[in-house]
Amino acid sequence: MQVAATKPSSGISLPGPSAPTISALSRRRILEDWKYILPQLFFFVVLNIVPLFVAIPILLTDMSQFNDPQVNYVGLRNFTALFTDRAVQADYLPAFQRTIIFVALNYTTVYIFGLSLALLMYEVGFRGGFFTVIYLPLMVSGLAVGYMASMLFAKETGSANLLLMKLGLLKEPINIYTATGTALLLPLMVGWRYAGYNMAIFLSGLLSIPKETIESAVVDGASYWQRLTRIYFPQMWPSFILATTMCLIGSWAVFDELVALGALYVNPNAKFLSVLFFIYGFQVERLSMGMTLALETFLPLVLVGVALQRLQRRLQY
Amino acid sequence: MTSQVQTLESLRAHRASAWTLSRRKMALRIFGLAVMIIYSVFTIFPFYILFVRSFVATADAGELHLWLPKARPVDMNTEVGNLSVFYNLDLKEMKQALGIPKGKVLRARETLAEVAKKYNIPEERIRNYFEGFYLFNGWQTLLFGQAGGSNFWAALLRTIIIAFISLGILIVLSIFTGYGLAGLRRRDQMYVYNLYLLQMVIPAMLIILPQYQMFQWFFKLFPGYDVQNSFIRQALQLLAVILINIKGTALSTMIFVSAISGIPRDLEESAMLDGAGRWQYIRHILFPLLKVPIVSLTVIQLPLFYNQFLEPYVYLDPANTTLLPFIANTAGQFSTNFQVIYSGVFASILPLLVVYLIFRRFFVEGVMAGAIKG
Repeated sequence: MQVAATKPSSGISLPGPSAPTISALSRRRILEDWKYILPQLFFFVVLNIVPLFVAIPILLTDMSQFNDPQVNYVGLRNFTALFTDRAVQADYLPAFQRTIIFVALNYTTVYIFGLSLALLMYEVGFRGGFFTVIYLPLMVSGLAVGYMASMLFAKETGSANLLLMKLGLLKEPINIYTATGTALLLPLMVGWRYAGYNMAIFLSGLLSIPKETIESAVVDGASYWQRLTRIYFPQMWPSFILATTMCLIGSWAVFDELVALGALYVNPNAKFLSVLFFIYGFQVERLSMGMTLALETFLPLVLVGVALQRLQRRLQY
Repeated sequence: MTSQVQTLESLRAHRASAWTLSRRKMALRIFGLAVMIIYSVFTIFPFYILFVRSFVATADAGELHLWLPKARPVDMNTEVGNLSVFYNLDLKEMKQALGIPKGKVLRARETLAEVAKKYNIPEERIRNYFEGFYLFNGWQTLLFGQAGGSNFWAALLRTIIIAFISLGILIVLSIFTGYGLAGLRRRDQMYVYNLYLLQMVIPAMLIILPQYQMFQWFFKLFPGYDVQNSFIRQALQLLAVILINIKGTALSTMIFVSAISGIPRDLEESAMLDGAGRWQYIRHILFPLLKVPIVSLTVIQLPLFYNQFLEPYVYLDPANTTLLPFIANTAGQFSTNFQVIYSGVFASILPLLVVYLIFRRFFVEGVMAGAIKG
């Protein structure tokens, strides 16, 4: 363990290659530090990391519910079920398809809403009032966003449907409860909700660009598009990666909005992967299968997320 | 790494310099402003519609309403059986409000005119009762009714209690973490920091099933493990949610580590020389210096706690639940009464919306400072 306790701290620096011996003083410092680190770390590890390991023995059994009296060892059957078991595939594959379409469309809304608004705000000048309005939907819960989606786009009673039809912009009412309706409108609503958040990420990226580079590009006669692609975007990589990470993790695990659309009971078109895991775990007594599927789905995602985080930090510091 | 102070300064400088552009760009600027105004309308529109719809009777939901509807005149020939569907009302309450003796049974085929005649009630009274019920049926049912064994006010109170306790403890624990990790000079500190960063990429859905299993083992408070004393059971359930909330996030760790790393070590050393202990240093010197990161964490975390759904939905009994699961239960119970559902959704948004609008300055600056960290 390398220690350089006397070095003045200035931001984050990786441990240096030189490794002086630990003096009694710095050892006391380490102990003192750990006294303050431990309280929260205990909760964090127990509630966020340990569950991943608690799951492992359960994955190898046919445990059907949380207080299952009879649990049998089944080996790796749960893991292979995704590739061999027809019943599981019939549940999983449609949900997977819905989820991946949602993720892709939701990711485009990050740019359609977040990036364009940030660029607009940057060029027009920062306006606290507009920021307040654009950030407003973030105060709305995911559940409420789901109910609002059905309020606006239900077939017979959707207010947006009725308005658009009255204005003559729409001939047939949109129905959020159909497969296409959910696939197209839910990303719109979720993008609307996170617009302010993504805008803040991109705007802080834009504001960190040194003014000189932009000014010299303007003096050299660069068009706006050239400025975007040559000056702004290359210097905003950390923002892009951060927005990607947040959107990726958030939209794979989207849940609240779907509950509002009736995914847990009546609406099969809103059954995305996270809803499927929830139903397996809490409703239909296929607990170990639900855990396995969740792990098989999310573990690659976690690895991608970690890689993105590392990339972001390398670019930032 | 950019500190929050620098960010805010560049924000202000940017705001000031934006006005010194040439006139040629004024046209573009006006175009930009117009787009922003249109987008603002687009943003506000669902809120406004939600407000209006919370007053629109379910029977009229198929028509477009852009303003509060006028109460539909009460038809005295309506049959009692249709009323309960139409207004979604509770017959017991209606009998009480109209002064009909408890023992008498209203038949479904009786019309309102017949009821008025039979029990000697002036027609005007019946009209007034139902007209009031037309607009406010949703709000009445929501605010004075029950769903899943809880009512709106109790659920709201639980939400507020959980949010504030969680936020307070989270801030204190995160400051400790930030203090212990400050500088990230050692390898052990780096490991802990990276562990916290994992939180950002682990979805709650991945760990909720085994996490629930662990709470089942230690707290024994879910179906099948009914503790006799329901108060202890409910308190433990609330504790479970609070523990999940205070466990620390990537954001809380990043915010406080970078903020405390920016505070000179000399300050701590001179405080120590003056005889202050570590705790005194944190309490009296560090804490007042951390106002910006505390505000930043509060404005990002408060909406997340207030709008928490998955954990309360899973861990709390329906009779002991917070606001959002209560709204979901209400929507399940009154699944055909849109007026109640939209009243509930609007009522669930409103408290946080008011807080947001009052403290909007802190939200804007805190979010911009926090966005750098992620």
